[in-house]
Amino acid sequence: MSELILTIFSAAFLATVIRTSTPLLLATLGGLIADLSGALNVALDGIMLIGCLAAVVASAYAPWYVGVLAGIAAGAAVGAIMAFFHLRMKADIIIVGFAISALATGGTVFALSIATGGDKGTSINLPSKGIPAIDLSFLGGIPGIGPFLVGVFSGHSFLSWVAAFLVFAIWYFLYRTPWGLWLRSVGEYPAAPEAAGIPVNAIRGWSLVVSAALAGLGGAQLAMFNYIGFTANMTAGRGFIALGAVLLGARHPVGVLLAAVLFGAFDGLTTVLPGLFGWIPPELIRMIPFIVTILALVLFSYRAQRALLLRGAR
Amino acid sequence: MTTDAEPGGLKPQSRWDVARRELVRGAIAVVIALIATIAIIFFTSKEPSEAFWTLLTAPLSKPRTIGLWIDDAAKLSVTGLAFSLVFQARQFALGVQGQLYVGAIAATYVALSPIGATWAGLPLGILVAMLAGAIYGFLPGIAKAKLGANEIVSSLMLNYVAVELCNFLVRVALVAPGSGLLTTAKFPKTSLYPALVPNTRIDLGLIFAVVAILGVWFALYRTTWGLKLRLVGHNPRFAEYAGIKANFIMVSAMTAAGALGGLLGSMFVQGQAFGNLTVQFEGGFAFEGVLIAIVARNRPLAVPIVALLYGYLRQGAQLMNIRTDVPAEVIGVVAAIIILLVSSSFGIPGKAFFTRMARRRQTVAAAATGGVAK
Repeated sequence: MSELILTIFSAAFLATVIRTSTPLLLATLGGLIADLSGALNVALDGIMLIGCLAAVVASAYAPWYVGVLAGIAAGAAVGAIMAFFHLRMKADIIIVGFAISALATGGTVFALSIATGGDKGTSINLPSKGIPAIDLSFLGGIPGIGPFLVGVFSGHSFLSWVAAFLVFAIWYFLYRTPWGLWLRSVGEYPAAPEAAGIPVNAIRGWSLVVSAALAGLGGAQLAMFNYIGFTANMTAGRGFIALGAVLLGARHPVGVLLAAVLFGAFDGLTTVLPGLFGWIPPELIRMIPFIVTILALVLFSYRAQRALLLRGAR
Repeated sequence: MTTDAEPGGLKPQSRWDVARRELVRGAIAVVIALIATIAIIFFTSKEPSEAFWTLLTAPLSKPRTIGLWIDDAAKLSVTGLAFSLVFQARQFALGVQGQLYVGAIAATYVALSPIGATWAGLPLGILVAMLAGAIYGFLPGIAKAKLGANEIVSSLMLNYVAVELCNFLVRVALVAPGSGLLTTAKFPKTSLYPALVPNTRIDLGLIFAVVAILGVWFALYRTTWGLKLRLVGHNPRFAEYAGIKANFIMVSAMTAAGALGGLLGSMFVQGQAFGNLTVQFEGGFAFEGVLIAIVARNRPLAVPIVALLYGYLRQGAQLMNIRTDVPAEVIGVVAAIIILLVSSSFGIPGKAFFTRMARRRQTVAAAATGGVAK
């Protein structure tokens, strides 16, 4: 047991948590934007998967940043399709999300097979690139905590820092700019902004595009840093865990950050535990993030419901 | 959506009008999806015409492939029904996959126990599978009813847990130790569904599928429970004012759908197709029920028709995968297009123009007759 505690508080494990949290956080931020605009984006997982594939294929033929941009662009394109069918064709957003999920699971394998001339399910023959790590070893010069800081913060993906910055940027956007207010009002009570002459549908559409672009970025991180290359269903439910993290994070950027890090920590635990406790069956270890998500959701929902009752709403 | 007569219209629409309109919409969606498929195949295949011909005709080429198609359609019907039931209550629970796995595990435990070799093996396996599925469907339902936990997330998480549970139990408990296989031994004959047509996969599961279709139809459209369920799905606030216990209806719908998911698990492992439990035997099959339910507009009697059509396309795609250079996963793209088109409110192209023309002609005629009358 003491080994576990030592491991959890080691610099190496904290670094692992940052690594596993990053794709989750990016997708969660995407889910947050969509959720605040009043659309539950159940396609996050599928969009991540599409982002993974786009990033891997593009990075095989171009520099790494083109791969990342391809992930974002693929996500944004999917978001635009969702917005078109939801807003113009009046389809239910959840059903549109299901369609995108079906498209992603089948379509990515199909597209990969076309792109590589017959590879089924993995991009093993594609020389895809990784996102460069940011070296912060100069922090080691700080006396005392220097080596620890280097261990935790050095060698992370460029996108980890982008994600951290995005938490702040999205908070600023939502709570300190008029457009953020518009977005939140559209999700809260669309009739009011409509009456105030705010373009409700345009805001909803852009929210879906940005939401999907963030999920695509998360996919790029997953396929270009956490893993190098694409395998079928490589997201392994991360998009749905992100959906849970949005609810757990109380629909606030900082809360969402904490929820994503929590789930990322348990994801990281699944990579650490097999080495520490060889006797625990790997299948049970792999269940941990999913069970934790259910428990967190149930506990949080219970508290949220009680708060709602106390406020006397509904 | 669920009533035949739309209020507000002067003439109540008959059941057949609604059916015809839905059929036309469905046909348009299928035609557009097929055109999209032709386009995709044409751009990606070296032998497009052969690939497309295989897609459209191969499932009927041999008795064996017809059997595969019918067996697929029966299973697709059951997963489609399970989704229809929860969607009708406007619960987007996606737990059929998990229910399928726990049902299959439960049926396997019965079949491989001493009971499995007696006559009781078959009925007991089915019952236990349905019970396991029902419990697995009940969990996200009660979490939603009591705590308001989002059912989409919780049911999906339970799916992953069930898949890992199956992996674990097969490896550790159900396979003879040391064999290294990830497949259990074949079940005894007394625990298997008898084949209806010899040498095909058509078995007792087909009859269960038909019974399930009729049962769900009866429950939804001929019982007060079904009426309440559809009301809750249609307008939860009104249902609440009408004194309907929405939470009870919701949880019972999710539990019943879970029993169907469990039945599907039994149909898989006890059917002629498998006859044993293999890790990840289902391969995402359960989720295709989402498409079936959406295209069938959650109507139980439309589910088998959609399942037959989609099952045909699915079987064709798999045969195309084997015989030509087009991967079977193309069906995912087609499925997405169909869902998007069916769920959108689009009109028949040019319909507005024609109705406007017709109306103008009517008003001209009316004006003319009116003029004569004066």
